[in-house]
Amino acid sequence: MDFRFDIIQEYAPFFLRGVLLTIGVSIAAIIAGLILGLMIGLGKMSTKRLIRLPFEWYINFFRGTPLLVQMLLVHFGVMPLFFAQPSATVSLIVSLSLNSAAYVAEIFRAGIQSIDKGQMEAARSLGMTHAQAMRYIILPQALKRMIPPFGNEFIVLIKDSSLGLVIAAPELMYWGKAAAGEYYRVWEPYLTVAFIYLLLTLSLSKLLHYLERKYSNQ
Amino acid sequence: MIKVSNLKKSFGNLEVLKGINAHIREREVVVVIGPSGSGKSTFLRCLNLLEDFDEGEIIIDGINIKEKQTNINKVREEVGMVFQRFNLFPHMTVLDNITLAPIKVRKWPREKAEAKAMELLQKVGLQEKANAYPDSLSGGQAQRVAIARALAMEPKVMLFDEPTSALDPEMVGEVLAVMKQLANEGMTMVVVTHEMGFAREVGDRVLFMDGGYIVEEGTPSEIFDHPKHERTKSFLSKVL
Ligand SMILES: Nc1ncnc2c1ncn2[C@@H]1O[C@H](COP(=O)(O)OP(=O)(O)O)[C@@H](O)[C@H]1O
Ligand SMILES: [Mg+2]
Repeated sequence: MDFRFDIIQEYAPFFLRGVLLTIGVSIAAIIAGLILGLMIGLGKMSTKRLIRLPFEWYINFFRGTPLLVQMLLVHFGVMPLFFAQPSATVSLIVSLSLNSAAYVAEIFRAGIQSIDKGQMEAARSLGMTHAQAMRYIILPQALKRMIPPFGNEFIVLIKDSSLGLVIAAPELMYWGKAAAGEYYRVWEPYLTVAFIYLLLTLSLSKLLHYLERKYSNQ
Repeated sequence: MIKVSNLKKSFGNLEVLKGINAHIREREVVVVIGPSGSGKSTFLRCLNLLEDFDEGEIIIDGINIKEKQTNINKVREEVGMVFQRFNLFPHMTVLDNITLAPIKVRKWPREKAEAKAMELLQKVGLQEKANAYPDSLSGGQAQRVAIARALAMEPKVMLFDEPTSALDPEMVGEVLAVMKQLANEGMTMVVVTHEMGFAREVGDRVLFMDGGYIVEEGTPSEIFDHPKHERTKSFLSKVL
C-alpha cells in the first residue's frame, strides 16, 4: 500500500481551517454548556417537585436521545424558525451546547451532593444563609471535584463536534470527508483527521491533569 | 434562655421526639444523656432548626424560632454548635475557618475578626495552628478549633453534640478541659455526651432521655446517686 502524503499536503490549508473551526465551536459550546448546565443542575436540585420536573426532563431528553438526532432537529427544525438561512456552524454550536448542558448539570449536581452534609450544617449553624454557605463552603469544594468530569465532558464534546459533518458545518471531519471524496482515498484523509483529534484531546487532558494537580494542593 | 414546650418530631413514620419539655436558664450547663437512638441529637438539632419539628414551641432569648417573622439566621448567630465530627471547612486554614462567619455574617472588619480568632486560638491552646489546614490537625485539635469557630460569633448559647465521641481516648481530656473552662466563664451550654465524669463535675442539671421523652431530670447527684426511674438506673448501670 502506498501512502500519498501529497494529498495531505494539498489539503493542509483546509484541515487547518477545519481544526480552527472545531476548536472554536468546542470552546463556544463548552462555555455555553457550562453556564446552561449550572442553571439546569441548580433547577434539578430544587426541593419543589414542580420546579424540578422540567429540568429532569431536559436532562432525560438530551442524555437519552442520540446527539445526531438532536443536531438534525436543531438544524433543520428549530433554527429555520428563527433564521431564513441557518448557519450550520451555529446549529452545531447550539446542539453541542444543549447536549453538553445536560451532562454538565449532572456533574454539577453530583459534585455538590458529594460534599458531606455536615459542611452545610456547620455553615448554617454559624448563621450563614443558604446562598452564603453555597458560595463560601460548598461550591469551592465541589468545583475542585468537578474538574476531572468537566474535562472529560470537554473531550467528549470535541470528538462529538465531528458529527457536524452531517449538517455540513465545515469543521475538521467535514474536510476529511471532502478530501476522501475528492481523491477516492480512505487512509490518508481519515488517519490525518484522527491524528489531529488525538492531538487535541491529548493536549487537553494534559492541561487538565496540570490543573487538577495545581488545585489539589489547596 | 431556652424554653422548649411539647416538642414533637417524626422522621416519616418514626416518632423520634414525643413531647419534650425543657427549660435552660442563662449561665446553666445542661447535660443530656441517654441511650443511642433516644433522640438526643434530634433534640439538639431542633434547637437551632437544623432539624424542623412538627409540633410544640421553642423560645430562645424571647424569640419563637419557628414563627414566620423570625429570621432563623439571626437566631443561629446566637446559638453556637459543635458537632461530633467537627465539620471544619477543609479548604480553608484554621484562621479562615474561624473568621469566615464573623466577617460574612456579623460583617466585622477582617482585623477585628482575626484578632478575635487569635484570642480564641490562644484560649484553646492552638495559636501556632492558625495557618494550618484542618487535614493536618489531630481529632482533639480539630474539635478545639471547631469550638473556637463557634465562639467567634460570640453566641449566647453553645450546643455540643457528643463532641468527644469521635476522638481517640487520649484526646478526650483536652476537649473536655476547654468545655469546662467555657462553663466556668458562665457560658450557657447544652451538652449531649457519654462522658459521665464531665456531666457530674461540670453539669448543673442532667436530662436523661429515652425513647423520645425526657424520662428524668435533676442535679448530677440526684441523677447519678439517686436515680428514680428504672430506665435511668438500668442505663446508668451499663455506662458507669
Ligand atoms: N435524618 C433522619 N432520617 C430518618 N431517621 C432519623 C434521622 N435522624 C435520626 N433518625 C432516627 O431518629 C432516631 C433518633 O436519632 P438521634 O436523635 O440521632 O438519637 P441519638 O442522638 O440519641 O443517638 C434514631 O432512630 C435515628 O435512626
Ligand atoms: Mg446522636
